[in-house]
Amino acid sequence: MSVCRPARCLFSKAPASIAKPSPPSRSFHASAARPVRKRKPHYASIKAEDLKLLNQAAETHFPKYDTSETTLLGKRYTPSQLAAIKAAESAIDARDIVTQGQQRTDPFRLPYEDDMSEMDPVTDHAPKLSAADIPGPITFRRANAAERDAAIAQIASENMAKMWPDGVPEGKLGPKEADHLEETIEAAMFQATLDPRSAFYSKNPAVMEAMADPRHSAVLPDLPRLENRMARQARRMANEEQEDPRQKRLLQYMGWNKRKLSQIRVKTLVVHGVTNQTRMGKIRSMYYLTIAGNQDGLLGVGEGKSVEPEEGRKQSIMAAIRNMKPVPRYENRTIYGSLEKKVGATKVQLFSRPPGFGLRVQHLIFEIARAAGLHDLSAKTPRSRNKMNVIKATWEALTSQKLPDEIARGRGKKLVDVRKVYYGGSVH
Amino acid sequence: MSLVNLAHVCSHMQNASKARLGLTSIPVSKLHVNLMLGLQREGFLSSVTLGGPTPPKPFVLQEQPDPAALENMAQKLQEQPWHAYSAPENKKSPLGQERVYEVNVPENPARRRLWLGLKYWNNEPVLKNMKLISKPTRRIWLTSEDLSKITRTRESSFVKGLTHPGECMFVTTDRGILEARDCVERRIGGMALCRMW
Repeated sequence: MSVCRPARCLFSKAPASIAKPSPPSRSFHASAARPVRKRKPHYASIKAEDLKLLNQAAETHFPKYDTSETTLLGKRYTPSQLAAIKAAESAIDARDIVTQGQQRTDPFRLPYEDDMSEMDPVTDHAPKLSAADIPGPITFRRANAAERDAAIAQIASENMAKMWPDGVPEGKLGPKEADHLEETIEAAMFQATLDPRSAFYSKNPAVMEAMADPRHSAVLPDLPRLENRMARQARRMANEEQEDPRQKRLLQYMGWNKRKLSQIRVKTLVVHGVTNQTRMGKIRSMYYLTIAGNQDGLLGVGEGKSVEPEEGRKQSIMAAIRNMKPVPRYENRTIYGSLEKKVGATKVQLFSRPPGFGLRVQHLIFEIARAAGLHDLSAKTPRSRNKMNVIKATWEALTSQKLPDEIARGRGKKLVDVRKVYYGGSVH
Repeated sequence: MSLVNLAHVCSHMQNASKARLGLTSIPVSKLHVNLMLGLQREGFLSSVTLGGPTPPKPFVLQEQPDPAALENMAQKLQEQPWHAYSAPENKKSPLGQERVYEVNVPENPARRRLWLGLKYWNNEPVLKNMKLISKPTRRIWLTSEDLSKITRTRESSFVKGLTHPGECMFVTTDRGILEARDCVERRIGGMALCRMW
């Protein structure tokens, strides 16, 4: 503290309310900060005032059935069903629905969001109507000739109005347009003769309307087609997706479909440029080394080299998938005993580890273990750590494991997995 | 008891299995014979035969009993299993004469060799690696506690655990040359000889 500071500063207290905002500090740890890690309750605790608001919201959004509604329900449901509905309603607190109501996540949910209490003319079929829905007396008879002609004329003009919303063209027409007009007139007349309103007559206008209403039809009309730009584009994209000939060949070779191919985990671990010295000069190309695995005991390593980088990468991926070999895994998590493999000057030692140990291995072996679906492993690379050779040695060690069954057969002895015996076969 | 010879035997066995030999020979000593009999008991070797500088006739090439006689014997054993025990002396066995194969063993002990039949399975040698644990210059004695740790794949007394699948270790004890797991079962310790897998 400096002496020249005024005493005012010394004795006065800083106002508590104005807290200095802490400068944005870098976190020095990989794990999340403590406040982030702190477990929050699933549902925030609610204050008394908010609870009042909540009660109001619950009442407005989810009101209790009033008498008129219960009488309506009584028309639709039997008394026992009504009792069940009431019991269900009373079992769930409306406040809970407001605070905890969630989207469904079960497999039987609808693939789209919808309020089931409302009808959407686009997505929902129109409700079917029956004779009970027609007000007034339901009486009709076969129409006589005059009534029929009048009905046909009216219906035909209605249809024409639908087909020509801007009005029927008048004046002199070209031969094409005249033909078109004639066709539409014919179609309108034909539709009108097929219409039930032309064949039957009723004094009640509601009955005549019901005859034209598709909701009264025995055959429910189709929903209108969704024909928007996004849907069309999505369809086109799916059709026009580029078929890579190399991929096609690979799928044929493996006898797979595209979906299975997409489940393969692929990672390019080594990339570097190589040059070929010719008398014309240096030809530079790119080398790729890729691993592929299904994370469930299949692992492959592939190499690719090309002047075109993308070409070389694809080559290596396809080679890796083609080279996939089974990796025997003990309890689907680690290897059978320790392994050692030497490729060139590189030696890789792999050790099996107990459950929950994790993958404490160097990055290349880590990626390989991930792709193969190994979960407990440790490794040493005591000699050269050439990336390519480390990957190859690890792959060869993992795929050429000696299994206890094979050893037992070779020696003519009985080998028993003590862990499995101890845990009664319920190890994994 | 020099371990130098045992070291030579170990590397010779590895070389022989790499060369895919069916039959190989090692010098004869009590240590070697007992160790090799232990190896045969563990299933690493198909045969252990004392012989001379030339290999003994392989078992498969020697005269075989005819199948009818074998069937007859099996039938008899099923009905009267006690005949499996050896018959009292100066009495004929009801199962027929026991077969004894003649092997030429030289009079001179220096010319004797121990002939070992090596095993292969799925184009891979059954005995691929064989290494000394005690060295001629540094013997390692292990207690039964050490051995129990080692057989459970843990390191003890500077001896690495038996982590390879199906790995075996032989120990020379005052009860003879035993496998490490046998020693643990009998709670006896001894000097570690070699390990193989």
